[in-house]
Amino acid sequence: MSRNFKVSYKEDMALLQNGWQKGWLVILVLTLIFVPLFLGRYQLSILNEISIVLIGALGLNLIIGYTGQLSLAHGAFVAIGAYSSGLITGKLALPFLLSLPLSGLIAAILGLVIGIPSLRLKGLYLALGTLAFGFIIEYILQHWDLTQGDLGMGVKRITIGDWTIKTQLEYFYFLGTFAFLSVLVTSNIVRSKIGRSFIAIRDRDIAAEAMGINIIKYKIIAFALSAFYAGMAGCLTAHFNRWLVPSSFDISLTISAIAVIIVGGLGTVLGTVLGAILITGIPHAIVYIVDIFQDSYPALSGIVVEIKLGIFGLVIIATLLIEPRGLVGIYQRIKVYWKTWPFKY
Amino acid sequence: METAVDVLFSGLSMGSIYALVALGFVLIFKSTGILNFAQGELCMVGAYICYYFATKLEVPYLLAFIAAVVLGCALGALIDLLIFRKLVGEPVHSTILVTIGLASILVSFTGLLWGHDTYSINSPFIGKTFTVGEMIFSQASVATIGVSIVLFFLFIMFFKKSLLGIALMGTAEDSDTAGLMGINVKKMRMLAWVLGAFVASVAGIFLAEQSFVHTGMAHIGIKAMAAAILGGMQSIGGAIIGGILVGIIESLAANFLTDLAVGGFHFGDVKDVTAFVIMILVLMIRPHGIFGKKEVERV
Repeated sequence: MSRNFKVSYKEDMALLQNGWQKGWLVILVLTLIFVPLFLGRYQLSILNEISIVLIGALGLNLIIGYTGQLSLAHGAFVAIGAYSSGLITGKLALPFLLSLPLSGLIAAILGLVIGIPSLRLKGLYLALGTLAFGFIIEYILQHWDLTQGDLGMGVKRITIGDWTIKTQLEYFYFLGTFAFLSVLVTSNIVRSKIGRSFIAIRDRDIAAEAMGINIIKYKIIAFALSAFYAGMAGCLTAHFNRWLVPSSFDISLTISAIAVIIVGGLGTVLGTVLGAILITGIPHAIVYIVDIFQDSYPALSGIVVEIKLGIFGLVIIATLLIEPRGLVGIYQRIKVYWKTWPFKY
Repeated sequence: METAVDVLFSGLSMGSIYALVALGFVLIFKSTGILNFAQGELCMVGAYICYYFATKLEVPYLLAFIAAVVLGCALGALIDLLIFRKLVGEPVHSTILVTIGLASILVSFTGLLWGHDTYSINSPFIGKTFTVGEMIFSQASVATIGVSIVLFFLFIMFFKKSLLGIALMGTAEDSDTAGLMGINVKKMRMLAWVLGAFVASVAGIFLAEQSFVHTGMAHIGIKAMAAAILGGMQSIGGAIIGGILVGIIESLAANFLTDLAVGGFHFGDVKDVTAFVIMILVLMIRPHGIFGKKEVERV
């Protein structure tokens, strides 16, 4: 293990710590570019779903995992982003490339309405305020003529210049690139001064303040960033599903996003990626398994849809009770075990 | 438009349900430091059990009520034993996330067991009314208010006079010192969960009395949180008054705003979000609530 001996600050801060990581990253990127060419529409749509979930969950991890502030308005921010983009590209007829950052910005600005008063206070006020905010947003979307409530709202396809995204494969290359960029940006945020301030606030806020970190400022930055990510995820959801109803952005969306970051490991980017794959994959895997038994138990697939949220709840509790560091924690334990095998570390 | 008395009365009967749920919420928060997001789900489970006994098995109403409350308490004890006893000392946000997980488990499995439709409890109060002069009150509402007042009184006496209640308060104040004084802290934490589940079950059954039994009724837990915040999270009297205030404001809002429309925005079922607006306003203006004390942080 002492082979990883850093001699300069630059080396210590490097995004990829050694040659192995660089090699694996190249293999991963090549796989992601070429394997989709051989996949069917259904598999591609799962990958697209994972990409969108990942972008939103990265934002949620910034506020919950890195800054240690519990925000329960994830679903609301995704909804704001989705409806903003739907209205901007629809009613205002602005190009998609403009509406993507705008929908993130709108989510962040609206989030600050509740974020600023709650973040001034310590403790659980943010959790309560954001929860209330989520319900109010859902209510507004239901009752506003502009958003058409349960009637639903149609959204245009993504058009960039002359290129209109139509097939799942095109969606995959677009969303996958975007998810990759989000991972890169997040990794850079968390190793910069901002990210270290987030972690300091999470670990010991009073000590952080004593060291000159403006706690309120950084908490608000974290909250706005998380809303921005969620807003963009919402924008992508809107253009991917192309149909919006308020009830698809309720508290269950927040719960599944929380499940993603907890299962993966709070406060790690790698964990968020793993969590997004696992949590998005679980329902599809169950449906796949259920299909095999479909003939003998026809009522089974209905049950699965009903208990999906219950399974996420179980996953959250089991992770927090058994391995609070999530999948990343398990991975690190295995790594340490094999590094020193057959001796105990 | 209903008369002012009607509006106030329905607000009061809804408010006493909020107050009961908020009471359970504050009990658990005070003694264990856990913000229980599954409080509404405990109400829902209580109502479903009562429905199962009273309507499905046709057990007399009073027996069904008692069975639901007892089983609800057992569920509270089980939750403490299986989950929260193992999480003592964990960071606050992970205990909250566990309660959120618990909430979704309770909803899904109740739905799985009894279905997501709406049901009504076979109770002696259905459709019966009191007439006082010109005014008509439903018996269910009167019973709700009456039982709530009795329960509030019992709880306040319990915490003021009984040794067990004082021990519970002591644990809430400082669990380490309470342990040194010979109080069984583990038992006290479990007692808090049992009492929390007890008031939740009672509130759930009364709520079902006023509307129906369905999985969506778990929503009341979050509304009651608004009541608890309004009263101050640390105060039992505050929870009661907060609950009644939220109920009355909600009833007033429903009466005056429901048919209003401003610039393409229809207020509609404004009742569903009044509590949340109150919650956000309280957080902005007076976050420690009406009766709560401002917390002083010591390094």
